[in-house]
Amino acid sequence: MSLIEISQLLNDSELGTGLRESVYMFPFIEGLHLIGLTLSVGLLFFVDLRLLGVFLPQLPVAQVLRPLRPWLLSGFALTFVTGILLFTAGAAKIILLPVFFYKLGFIGLAGLNALWFELKWGREIDSWGQASVLPVTVRLAGVTSLTLWSLVIIAGRLIPYLGYQ
Amino acid sequence: MSILELFNSIQTSALARFIGSLNHLYCAFMELVHITGMLMLLSSLLLTCLNLLGLGLSNVPVQVLKQSTFRLFWWGLALLVLSGLFIFIPAATSYYPNDFFWAKLILIGLGLLTYLTLYRTVTNAVKPSKWLANITGVLVFSLWLGVAFAGRFIGFF
Repeated sequence: MSLIEISQLLNDSELGTGLRESVYMFPFIEGLHLIGLTLSVGLLFFVDLRLLGVFLPQLPVAQVLRPLRPWLLSGFALTFVTGILLFTAGAAKIILLPVFFYKLGFIGLAGLNALWFELKWGREIDSWGQASVLPVTVRLAGVTSLTLWSLVIIAGRLIPYLGYQ
Repeated sequence: MSILELFNSIQTSALARFIGSLNHLYCAFMELVHITGMLMLLSSLLLTCLNLLGLGLSNVPVQVLKQSTFRLFWWGLALLVLSGLFIFIPAATSYYPNDFFWAKLILIGLGLLTYLTLYRTVTNAVKPSKWLANITGVLVFSLWLGVAFAGRFIGFF
């Protein structure tokens, strides 16, 4: 079964049809998607800005990252769940949009960047994270995260724009 | 002049016709600016409001947190207002009968009012009372969250 056929099935399912045709549910889920984005990417940007030495440079990185982690992970969970629902509601159209695959690609790259950062730097965060100016590769991970998540948002915002016009 | 007449004259103005004549990508660009502004405003507010509730970066004094995020709030608001106006102007009359549009404007007014009064007082206080800090955190963030939700609903009604 091809991706397009699966998307068509999702699109025509009871859930997909119900969401698409609901007056309040669809915009409500879009709203939740935005709130998830504020929690996840919004808070992650502050961590990235700390890595760049722009936000609270006097504070050790761990003291920015650790208290925010549960919030931004919950945000990612909310964004992910609502994202799947939004996709289901418009799957037949969205699957045909190249910009949707760009979005998935950028999410994948951002995830790899975060994984690399976690494995390479995350464990010894208390030893290097005290300085206000951090190692070049750490700053690079911050810039990469900022850039990739911005691209995810740009591609994501273009989906309804290109899909429902 | 009634409000509807005002909206009508906005929509038929030279600026509105100029915006209307632009490429459709311009519209997508304005929506991107709008979402960027929203993220800047909401996430900076979220950080300080969580702090007022004793959550998130609670180890940082609220004054320090506010000092390092308030510019982002105002820059975000500037981007929102500017892009919002450019989205509104070419289609002003279509917003007139939309309840969510008016709800959004009222919520923006209340959001700004509480930001400039309650929020400002509490975040500048050396030791704000705990319940006042809690109420402020919940109220201010809820109002701006309401703005975002109302904004999302406008396009569907």
